[in-house]
Amino acid sequence: MGTLILLALLKAFTVVVMLGLNIAGLLTWADRRQRAVIQDSIGPNRAVAFLPAHVVKALVGAPAVLVAGAVIALQLVAPPDAGGRTARAVVLSQLFILVGWLTLLGIGGAVRTRGVRSSFDAWVASAGDPRKFVYLGFAAHGVTALLGLSLRGTEIGRTLRDFGYGAGAFLLAGAVLGGAVYTIVHLRGDTVGLRVAGLLHPAADGLKSVFKEDFVPPNADKFLHGLAPMISLFPALVVMAVVPFGDTLCFGVGANDTLDLGRLAAYVPRDGVCSEGAVKLQALDLNVGILYFFALAGTGIVGAALAGWASNNKFSLLGGLRAASQMVSYEVTLGLTIVGCIMIYGTVRLDEMVRWQVEHGWGIFVQPFAFVLFLTAAIAESKRIPFDMPEGESEIVAGYYTEYSGMKFAMFFFAEYVAIVTASALVVVLFLGGWHVPFLDRAGLHVAVGGSVLFSQPLPHAVVILLGFLGFVLKVVGMCWVQLTIRWTLPRFRYDQLMQLGWRKLLPASLLNILVTALVVLALQQASGTVQSALRTLGDATHALVAALGLVGAIAFFRLLLSPARKRRFLETSAARYAASRGGTRSATMQA
Amino acid sequence: MTRAPQEPRSSSAPLGPRKVVGAPVRRPERTAAVQSYVPTILEGLGLTMKHFFVNTKELALGQRNDPVLEAIDDGINTLSYPEQKRPYPERYRGVHRLTHRVDGSPRCVACLCCSTACPAQCIHIEPAEYPEGDARRGYERFPARFVIDEIRCVFCGFCVEACPCDAIRMDTGMHPAPYDSREQFIYEKDLLMSIPGRDGSFESDNPRHEPGDPTHPGVTRLKHH
Repeated sequence: MGTLILLALLKAFTVVVMLGLNIAGLLTWADRRQRAVIQDSIGPNRAVAFLPAHVVKALVGAPAVLVAGAVIALQLVAPPDAGGRTARAVVLSQLFILVGWLTLLGIGGAVRTRGVRSSFDAWVASAGDPRKFVYLGFAAHGVTALLGLSLRGTEIGRTLRDFGYGAGAFLLAGAVLGGAVYTIVHLRGDTVGLRVAGLLHPAADGLKSVFKEDFVPPNADKFLHGLAPMISLFPALVVMAVVPFGDTLCFGVGANDTLDLGRLAAYVPRDGVCSEGAVKLQALDLNVGILYFFALAGTGIVGAALAGWASNNKFSLLGGLRAASQMVSYEVTLGLTIVGCIMIYGTVRLDEMVRWQVEHGWGIFVQPFAFVLFLTAAIAESKRIPFDMPEGESEIVAGYYTEYSGMKFAMFFFAEYVAIVTASALVVVLFLGGWHVPFLDRAGLHVAVGGSVLFSQPLPHAVVILLGFLGFVLKVVGMCWVQLTIRWTLPRFRYDQLMQLGWRKLLPASLLNILVTALVVLALQQASGTVQSALRTLGDATHALVAALGLVGAIAFFRLLLSPARKRRFLETSAARYAASRGGTRSATMQA
Repeated sequence: MTRAPQEPRSSSAPLGPRKVVGAPVRRPERTAAVQSYVPTILEGLGLTMKHFFVNTKELALGQRNDPVLEAIDDGINTLSYPEQKRPYPERYRGVHRLTHRVDGSPRCVACLCCSTACPAQCIHIEPAEYPEGDARRGYERFPARFVIDEIRCVFCGFCVEACPCDAIRMDTGMHPAPYDSREQFIYEKDLLMSIPGRDGSFESDNPRHEPGDPTHPGVTRLKHH
């Protein structure tokens, strides 16, 4: 019993605090920072914590020593058995190469900006463009992998493998320690300003808003005025509870049918939903599933409307009214678009919806129209640009939170960002396959289209679950980013346009979607076996499409990272000539 | 191709605007694509994403523009003041300085030209005579006090123009620091003499011939008088 409560708390913590709050906290910063970056400026990055140099040295050195020590200890205490030697040799050699080229790349970049300081710097600088380290690193990864594959089973291969798992640990530890020592040696000054790419800014903002004056208008309803921000924030947060953030974990079962958390299943069969010791990675396993989301999302309206009414301010009241009518209108579309999905998935439970998508193909391929409608309605539901009429600062000051300040205002503000995260999580679960990574099933990597298996590699259960969780987080962050991109791009609608879009376009469209979906589902139920199997193959093809798109995206991303920045110098003004004579302003301390 | 010369308006032509010749400009079509607003949204999103990826990459990898030297390029041109500063142009009139002679005394001869020329009346000079026996006594004076009220100054540069000795200059390349009280803007002689020019020197490029030097024209003139 105790372990179950502990597990429930742990899951709630993971999904609400780790996912909901953290991603929302990062979003409050990313929104402003990246909007500025898009508009060719830097954005908020001024918050800085000055750490004494020896603390920084400890922060760099201690983890490096720990990692290096752990790797060597693992090698000495638990040397691999005959079966595990190859795996460990491969992992150690690849990690060594990765750490090696990343370290050299970092040093190369640093030498480029601050100049040569030691003979090692001179050696790194003599390589020229730091990109060479990336290319060399990838080449080394490839050559090592090919060598391992081609020499598998031969005498030289065995010698290499023995060298790999014997010396690999020491090489890896050396690379990690070397990078740390280099960083410590080249630290300058008594203090180091820690900015974490500007990430301290939202923390500073949050701290600031705690200490700001909490203003309540003289004739406002004090109780409701204080209650409204809580009512706004609460439903946004607890909606995350039904979101499944990973596949079911399989534990062993000890005496008295209690879970044995120490015995995580090593491998799980491909179609295996474990019979015993199953732990769903979902804080609240409700059988009403998606309906819980609609129930709570409806509660969020009360917060905004209450804030508008309790503030004793005409602008607030207008904002509150707008918020209430807008959210009620779009709630209808939101609910009706889901009906098509429910018909196809045949369930309202979110984890079973993901299982269906794993088996048949992602929801975006079976309900593409519903995806667009749901995303639009979800953005409108979270009262954000281009649907931020309730806020409408050009018309009604700041809408329903005109009279709010300090932490109460921050709670409204934060509730919006939490709503982005929950909306993204729902879109991911409903349409983007939840935790599913293409061709990764419960047994491991299994590339198969139709009946033909192209590649199969079993992976440990823990690795599969972890990859799924990472995939889910990546998708949620990606969807948040898409929502922010929409926010950075589009202007605000007019209020009557908003209502027209909601009632006269999206609502009929969602009804039509239900009709068409129902007809297609009926037709497919009557269809012959060949059509069914063809659909199966098509579903696998969509997985292949997603995998291919992911691969293309990754390649494009690396190409962008490695592409040189072409700049033209402009020395026509005396100010520019002065700057050029001092080596430019870029070489001055500059924080990314 | 020759263009037919435009006919002059004859008295018999009807009044009012001339008839427009040529094909009319086509109105943009309000197609379904335009009305649905979707292609435009996608185009805008694409542009936003392009800026996002390129600018974020340049910021993260330290490849962003030098805000001064590469200011005409696309990308982030923000200066992180005060870590980075935009250098002022060559002829920028900054805080004043009093130039030195070779021996470190001020070049100023307390002629009061600058304080006379000053439209803001922010220069106060108390002239004094050199002591008995000094080669310069009787030939020139020196400022016992030289005070500039920098908060009153309008940075017109008339004082520099008026100075016959190249003793006051505004070539420091500095703007006045933002102090928190008025007294701090009153720059006394010592402070004015402690500010170097932009090239770091306290003197000026113009040569000065001290009284007593064989090259000094004024001394010989004095002897002949």
